[in-house]
Parts: sequence; C-alpha cells; structure tokens
Amino acid sequence: MELYELNLHFLLEGLKAKKFSASEIFQSCKRRIDECEGNIHAFITRTDDKEPQTENADGILAGIPTVLKDNLCTKGIRTTAASKILGNWRPPYDATAWKYLREAGAVLMGKVNMDEFAMGNTCGNSAFGPTYNPNDITRVPGGSSGGSAAAVSAGYVPFALGSDTGGSIRQPASFCGVQGLKPTYGMVSRYGLISYGSSLDQIGPFARTVRDLQIIMSVIAKHDPMDSSCFREKNPDFSHKDKVSIKGKRVALVKEFQDFTLDAPIADAMTRTRKILEDEGAIIVEVSLPVVARYAVACYYALAMSEAHTNLERYDGVRYGYTVTDASGVKEMFERVRSYGFGSEVKSRIIAGTCLTEPSRCDEYYVAATKVRTLIAQEFTRAFGETDFILQPVTPSLPSKIGEVDDDEMKGYETDLYTLPVNLAGLPGLSFFTGYAGNLPVGLQLIGPRWSDPELLNAGLILEAHLGTPKIANGGKN
Amino acid sequence: MAELTFTPVIGIEIHIRLKTDTKIFCSCSTNTDAPANSHICPVCMGLPGSLPRLNHNVVEKGMLAGLALNCTVQPRSLFFRKSYFYPDLPKGHQISQCDLPVVADGYIEVHDANGNLKKIRVNHLHLEEDAAAMHHSASDGRLEGAATSYVDYNRAGMPLGEIVSEPDISSSAEAVEYAMNLQRRVRYAGASDADLDKGMMRFDANVSLKCSDGRWGRKVEVKNMNSFRALERAIEFEIKRQKKILLAGGEVLQETRHWNDAKGVTTASRVKEFYRKFIVEPDLPPLIVNQEWIDKVTAMMPEMPDVKANRYVNDMQIPREVAEVLTDDKNLADYFEACVSAGANPLRAANWVRTEVLRVLNERGQKISEFTISPETLAGLVARVDEGKLSTTQGKEVFDYMCANNSSIDEAIKHLGITEGGIAGNALSEIIASVIAANPDVLEEIKSGKDKKGKKLKFLQGLVMKETKGQAKPQEVAEAVAEAVK
Repeated sequence: MELYELNLHFLLEGLKAKKFSASEIFQSCKRRIDECEGNIHAFITRTDDKEPQTENADGILAGIPTVLKDNLCTKGIRTTAASKILGNWRPPYDATAWKYLREAGAVLMGKVNMDEFAMGNTCGNSAFGPTYNPNDITRVPGGSSGGSAAAVSAGYVPFALGSDTGGSIRQPASFCGVQGLKPTYGMVSRYGLISYGSSLDQIGPFARTVRDLQIIMSVIAKHDPMDSSCFREKNPDFSHKDKVSIKGKRVALVKEFQDFTLDAPIADAMTRTRKILEDEGAIIVEVSLPVVARYAVACYYALAMSEAHTNLERYDGVRYGYTVTDASGVKEMFERVRSYGFGSEVKSRIIAGTCLTEPSRCDEYYVAATKVRTLIAQEFTRAFGETDFILQPVTPSLPSKIGEVDDDEMKGYETDLYTLPVNLAGLPGLSFFTGYAGNLPVGLQLIGPRWSDPELLNAGLILEAHLGTPKIANGGKN
Repeated sequence: MAELTFTPVIGIEIHIRLKTDTKIFCSCSTNTDAPANSHICPVCMGLPGSLPRLNHNVVEKGMLAGLALNCTVQPRSLFFRKSYFYPDLPKGHQISQCDLPVVADGYIEVHDANGNLKKIRVNHLHLEEDAAAMHHSASDGRLEGAATSYVDYNRAGMPLGEIVSEPDISSSAEAVEYAMNLQRRVRYAGASDADLDKGMMRFDANVSLKCSDGRWGRKVEVKNMNSFRALERAIEFEIKRQKKILLAGGEVLQETRHWNDAKGVTTASRVKEFYRKFIVEPDLPPLIVNQEWIDKVTAMMPEMPDVKANRYVNDMQIPREVAEVLTDDKNLADYFEACVSAGANPLRAANWVRTEVLRVLNERGQKISEFTISPETLAGLVARVDEGKLSTTQGKEVFDYMCANNSSIDEAIKHLGITEGGIAGNALSEIIASVIAANPDVLEEIKSGKDKKGKKLKFLQGLVMKETKGQAKPQEVAEAVAEAVK
C-alpha cells in the first residue's frame, strides 16, 4: 500500500508512531499527482515542485499535504478563481482558513480547479479547462469545487478545502465519492474566500472519511475577527472521536420531495441508509417544507446573482489582475477588461443580477427574494422542532458525461433543489459516501439545524461504520 | 399683472469626516499627512476575498454627531452596497447606510431674514466610507479627457457621516448659518474636526424655486462646494439661474450640476448621473445599538454652544455678543470656564479672554490649545486687577510681558518695576521728602507765599508722580505734597 492511499487519521497515527516521515508522504502524493494529473487536470497552479516545509512540526497537521480551491487567497501564490480576469494576481495575504491549516502544519501542493468564480456545477466552466472525474474520466467531477473533490478522490491529498454557495462542496463530493461538509454559515471564516454570493458562501472540507472531516473542522472552525459573519461564541468541539449513539434521534424525510424521481442507485441508497438509521435506533419521521419545495430555487438564484454582480464590480483592471494599457479613457478600459476577463457564465449572472436589482424591478425580485428567504429559514426552524436531522439526496442523478446537456428542465430544477435551500437557511449539510453503482460513487446528504455540525459529523461516523469509506479512485488509469 | 415672486426651497447634504484613528472598515490609519497609498490594506483596496468589519468608534462618533444635531439614535440600522463604476471606488460599490441610518430626526436652528430663530430639520445622518482621492493631469482637473489620472487610496474607507437636511432652508444666508452651526456642533461633540481646508466637510445643495403663480421648479442638485463661501455663491447663482428660466416661461430641468468655484458658475454635469442600485451589504450584520450604548454616548455629550452661551448670559451676566464669541470654539469656552473655576470674576474673565487672549492668538496665528498662559494663571492676574493690586493698564502690561517672555506674573511685575497695590503711606512720604529735599528753592518759594497760582506745588506733585512711576493715586499725591510743604 502506498502512503498516498492512507486516510488522514492513519497518516497522523503513522507519523506519530514514526512509521514514516512527512517527507515520504509528500513524495508519495507528488508521485500520485504526476501519475494521474494528465488524466484528471485538477490543478490550476502546482506548488509541489520542491518539498514545502511545514510551519509547525508539532502541529496537529504537521507535514500533511493539501490542496485549496483556487478561490481561497494564498499569500504570494497565484490565485485565479478560475478566471482570466485575475491574471497572475498573487494575493498579499492568506485566507484565514488556510492560515489556520498552515499554522497547524499542513503543506500546500497547489491550487485546484473550479467553475469560474464558483459559478457552475461541473467544473467545466473554468478558464483553465475542465477537470475530469477520477472515477470515470468521461464524466464530470461536479462543481464548483470539482478540483478539490477530484484531488481527494484520486489520492493526491488526504483532504482539501472547497467552498459551497449552493452545493459546490456537497455535489462534487458525491460525484467523486468522498465525504464533504458544508458547515453552518458563520462556522468557518470567509476572510480570503473570493466572494460569489456572500450571504450563502461557506468554506468546508473534503476528505475520504468522516473522522478526517472532524479533524479538519477542529482546525478551521475558529472565530476570526476579520469576518463579521463568523461566530463569536467559544469554538465548537469537533474532538470527540468516539461515536455517540443516535438511538431515539429523529431523522426526517421531506414530504414534498417524495414525488420526485431519483436515479435508481440513489433511490436504493436512500432505502439502505434509512434502514441503517432505523437499525441504529433512530426514528424516521416526515417533515413538510412547502415553501422550500416551491420557491427555494428561484429565491436562491435571485439572491446569489444579486450579490454576485456587486461582488464582481471590483474587477475593473485598475488595481490588480488583467488590465489593458492602451484604452482611451476609463470607460473603454472597464469595458475591455470585463469583456475579455469574464467567461460567459459569469457574464450572464452579472447581467441577471444587474436586472434583478435594477431600481424599477428591485422590489419585485431582489427584495421579494430576501423575504422568501426569511420564510425558508423559518420553515426549517419549524422542521427542526420536529426532527434532529433531514435525510435527502445531494442530486437526483449520478454524474453526467462531460459535455452532456440535460434538456429536461424540470430535472435541472430538482438537481439544485436538494442543495440550495441549505445555503439559504445557513444550515450545515454533510455529503456522505454510500457505495458504488458500477464504478460511480453514490452520495447522500444529511442536514442538521444551525450549529449542529459536530452532531451531524457524529451521525456521519455512524453511517460510515455501516456504509464503509470510499476507495481511492483509479485516476483515469485502467 | 402682479410681479412674480420666487421662494427658494433648499436642502443640504453635508459630508463630514468622522474623527477616528482608523478607517471605517479596516484598521488603516486615517492620518491625512501620509504619502499617497501608504495607508492601505486588502480591505480598503477592495482586494478579492477581503471583508469589511465595522469600526465601532465610527458608530460612536456618528452617534455623537447625530446627538449634536438633536437626532435620535436608531436601535437597528443597516449597510447597503451603492454601485457605480469609477476608479476611485475600490469595490465598484460604496458601503453606505443610505436610508436606514444610525441616527435620524433632528434639527438645528438658524436666523431667518427677520432675525427670528427657525428650525431646519435634519432628516438623518448615515455612516459610509469615503472613496479614494483622484488627481488628474487635465487642465480642468476632471477625469474625462485627462491624459493621466492618479488614485490615492489613503482616502478610501475614511469614515464619513452624511447629514441630510429637510428642504427647510430659504436663502443662501440660512444655508451658510446652518452649515456653520452644524460645523460648530459636531466639533463640540468631538465627532469631527470638520476642517474645510482638509476636505473634512463637503457640501451638496438641492435647490428649487417655488413661484408665486403656483409653479414649482424641479430640484437641481449642485455638487462640489468645499467652503462656506462656495456654498453661498453656488446657491445664489443657482437661484438667479432658475429665476431667469422661470421668468422666461421656461422649465428648470431636474439634473445634477457642478459648481465651478473659479468661474463662479454651475454647469450641467457632463457625466450622466451614475446608475445606482442598492442591495443589503451581506458582509456586515445589522448594526444594533442597545440602550446601554446610547446611554454611554449620551453621557459623553458636552454642553452644546447655544446652551452654553445662554448659561453665560443668564448665570454670569455676560453680554450675548461676548458669550457667542467665547462659545464659538469649545476649547476657548473650556479655557474661559477654567479661568472662572480658578476663581476669576466671570464678567472680567470673559472680557479678558474676548479681548486680550484672542488678540494675542490672532497676532500669533495660534489656537487656544497652543496658548502659553494657563487659565489658572490668567485667573490670578484677573484677580489682582480686580482687587486693585494692579491697575487695568498695569494688568495688560503684565499680560503682554508674560506672553512675550513666557514668565510668571511675579517675574513680569518685578521686571516691569511695578509695586503692587500702588505707592502710598510711608513709601509715598519718603518719596515726597526726598523730592522736597532735592528742591529747597522751590520749597522756599512756596513757603514765602510767592506761588499764588500753585504752579510750584503742581511742579513738585509732578516730580513725585514721576518718581512713583505713576503707581500712586494722583489725589493722594496732591494732598500729601500740599501737606508736606505747609
């Protein structure tokens, strides 16, 4: 067995017992990357040309390699958000989440691919070309954090960070067959995360076991004065390694979702998971989320695009990133920089956001959406009075073939319906591995009330004990 | 046909720089003397991934300014994103409280044309960030057509309070009084230095005319006034311009106009008004001000200048004109009150500060904070004059000497050869005896009765006065000399 195949907690144990060194882990991971990257194309920028030195040899993650989604700022290292508009911009500061990892001893192998400015769910919408699913390179890895999920799945690194605005951690985790957590909004500092929809964005980890997610959360879920939306109370406790029984806990299925069609392997996984929970003593109940089912998708897009277009106003070529030097006047400069710098998906969302907040329509769309959002949050609060967790799919279908366009619009709507409401209500969502359908992994989602992240991961540990952990994807080598 | 008359309807928006050490959303210094682009960071440069965090001192200064304008603190306010593209705006939007401000519903008083007090309502004060400063190489200093433009981001993120009045102002004189009164009050509250020369206070005016025939002119926004004089001139120009249009039967366009101070005219903005839209700033939670915080800030509020002036008039019998001079600057009023606290007679101290202290400060171009004579020392000097130990003339000589030489009262008195309390009694008798002894012939003439017109006696009295350096009372000298020659 190669070191790159070891999951994070085994690496930490092995390092502690001096069975191998951090240098050997690095070399093994680097070899794995060299071996597969031609097929996977997960990286935008590699930083593993020479062995990085850990900043903290006694840290909890001393010498553990990782990769970051390329919308997380890294001091002195090119950060692109997968867009041409940032050019070769090197941030003068580190994102707080990366700073916490760095201070815990983690070493950076590189910055990985994503949909431009996190807008997309295939990782095919990148100025640097698509990433391929390491389980089946003819399929998408999901997005927008596709590079992070693919890197963990292919064994490049034992864990990675991504961001989730409407499913961007949970969906690629499910598609690539890894565990992914979208934490409660405010649980992890967003400082240094290039914003998409600021009130929806949240940084979270990918790993191959739930236990590993706990370890990463214990490092990154810390208060940060640089982010006003970050929690202010004492740091949550992710340290408990032993499972706590979920006997008597209620797990709900959403009434309104039961009529929707799921791919057979996903429907099977739901049945199997439900049985496991019942066997563990949990009580299966039903909750009703009518506003969510009917309005969440429209509400989400209205808010995400409204916030996105203002977040992207800063890219004007004046201070950093791509610029032109021969424009006559600032207006031409702005036009040329933004026309060339942004990809088409980003442009269409800027236009949509501009229209949704345009003075004559603002009340009808943007303001209305903020009100619907409040109703959605209230609906979830009521539901969590009746249940401890909600079990639902991440997506209704398995990863699609690259370039495949789904013409079924209703399916597209359902595709988003399982992930978006979680962001609207600021809830934590765990995308967990349930098994394989052929060579494709199948994931499901468990949701908890705000700040229940430790309990959610505990439930994940129990499920994992029954469902098993994913194997390293073949990385395109057959 | 009756002649048409026009009533100006004017509202003013005033931006003041709130007085804090650091910017509104980051910890960069607000020092304005620094080299260009030296007080910048990822936040005020709007770098990708950076997030604003509200400086609570800015909130406090905003509350102080609001209280100074008789506003009420709002328990919950919000921040918005105000979008427009311009190189001076690092994020492409300005973070501003817009119409959900931290303080609202106040007023300040001005005098109308008949000299009566009139309330100008203050709609609100909202907090926002300043944009960067731009320097253009074009001759008219504007962006269009400039060969090169430079941006100094030191100013980006400076804390501003925008104070919006209701359209209660009817003349340029009222507008200027409103602005000056506002400046004095926010300075008193310690909310802003409101230094016009440093761009810490800037004016926009909304001017329209109501015609006696029932017509209303459209509202014109005039921007770019950076002095009281400019505010006055711009409003006057605009009133004249609009009146001319209305008299000719024309229609005033609703537009934004730019005040050109050098030419003394307003011109239509060449740039179309920026297209603006607001969304809630998702990176900042609602600003909640609880009662405890309101109480704390309210307790920090000093007595306002009008209240202070009234107290001087009513409790200290100081003339209103003097009271208003003393209360114009809070530091001067504090100085005066410290004199009184140190025991000086209020009316005398007021006159001393009003005439002598201000004279010296004006001569030297100094501020009261730089004045070398402490209020306690001045109180001592005033007391000595009050008690008759020094004449008023001597007091002023001592004061000037102290100012010039940075000396104590006693040193000044000694150096000037002044005998406190004047020369009388034995000291006077001794001087008289020596004067008489030195002039036996004069004495002889008087004794012999030749001095019928008393000329010789006056001559002796004059010599004595000269010897006392004017420190003896003339009446006393006259009597004593007459007695001595008998």
